[in-house]
Amino acid sequence: MPLLKNHWITLRKRQVPVIVKVIFDMIKIRSIMTRNVITISQGSTVKEAAQLMSSKSVSSLVVVENSKPVAIVSENDIIKGIISNKKSVKDVMSGEFMSISPSAKFSEINNSMRNGKIKRFPVVENDRLVGLITETDIIQATRDFTRFHQIVQEVILAVFGFATAFFLFYFSPIGASVFG
Amino acid sequence: MARVSKIMLTGVPTLKKEAKIEDAARLLAQTQVGCVVVVEDKNPIGIVTELDLVRNAVSKGKSLKEPVGRIMSSPLTLMTPNMKLDEALKIIDTKKFRKYPVAENGALIGLATKKDIVNAISDNLRFHRNIQNIVLILFVLFELFVFVIGRYVPQYLAFGA
Repeated sequence: MPLLKNHWITLRKRQVPVIVKVIFDMIKIRSIMTRNVITISQGSTVKEAAQLMSSKSVSSLVVVENSKPVAIVSENDIIKGIISNKKSVKDVMSGEFMSISPSAKFSEINNSMRNGKIKRFPVVENDRLVGLITETDIIQATRDFTRFHQIVQEVILAVFGFATAFFLFYFSPIGASVFG
Repeated sequence: MARVSKIMLTGVPTLKKEAKIEDAARLLAQTQVGCVVVVEDKNPIGIVTELDLVRNAVSKGKSLKEPVGRIMSSPLTLMTPNMKLDEALKIIDTKKFRKYPVAENGALIGLATKKDIVNAISDNLRFHRNIQNIVLILFVLFELFVFVIGRYVPQYLAFGA
C-alpha cells in the first residue's frame, strides 16, 4: 500500500499521497489506452494487413508515416476493399480520424464511442503515436469505473450506517446511561 | 435489473448457410452492425463477424465464392430476451465474445453486444447510486433536524439529550 508507506507525490503543485494520484489518473486516456499499437505502411497490400491483424489479434491497424499516424485501417475497411477488388492499403484506409492527447479525459470520448460514430482514437503526443483507444479499452474502462464507484458508494454507506447507529444509540436511554 | 430484450438490436442481417463469403462481405460493408448471423429456417446456427471474415478468409487468401459455412463461428452462444443483464454479463465473462444473437424458442429475434450490455449496466448502477445519494442526503438533513429538535425541545421527544 503506497499510502501506508507514506509515499507522496506532487500533483498540481500540491503534495498528495500516491493513492490520490492513482485515482486522479484513472480517468485519463493515458491509463486506459493500448500501448503497443500495430502499425503498417501505406505501401502494404490488403492481404498483408489482414494477415498482420490475425497474427497480432487486433481489429485495427494504424497507418504511419515517420511515426506520425496518417490513417486507420479497420476490419470493415478491409472487407470493403476486398469486395471492390482493391489491393493496396492506400486505397482502403480511412484518413478521417480523430486523434487525442494522452492527458485527455475518458468522458471526452465516451460519448462519441457510445453513439458509434467513431470507434478508434489514435493517441498522439508531440506528433508521435503513443497509443490507441478502441472499443475494448472503453468497455474495460467503463467496467473498472463502475466497480470503483460501487466500492466508493459501499464505503460511504458503511461509514454513514455506523455514524447513524452511533447517533441513535447516543441519544437513546441506554446510550445516555453509557455516555453519561 | 433490465432485461436483454431492452438493449438488443433488431433487424440483424442474416444469411443462409449456402450463401457465399462474398454475400457476407457485402452485407458487412453495407450495415453498421459488424456481423451477419447465419440462419437455417429462422434458427441461428452460426455467426460471421468482421473478425471471422478478415482472419479466416482474407488473410488465408480464400476464394470469395466459398460458402459462409466454412468461415462462420459455430456453435453459437445464444442469449434469451428474458435474461437479466447481470446473467448476460456472466456469459460474456466466460465466453469472451463481443456479439451474441438473441433467440426466443430457437428463432432469431435480435443481437446483444458486449458494449451495449456493459453500458446499460453502468447507467443502471449510476441511476441507483444517484437515488441512493439523494436518500442519504435527505436522511442527513432529517438527522440534523432531529438533533436540533432534540437539543432545544427535549420535552417533546421520547428520548433526548
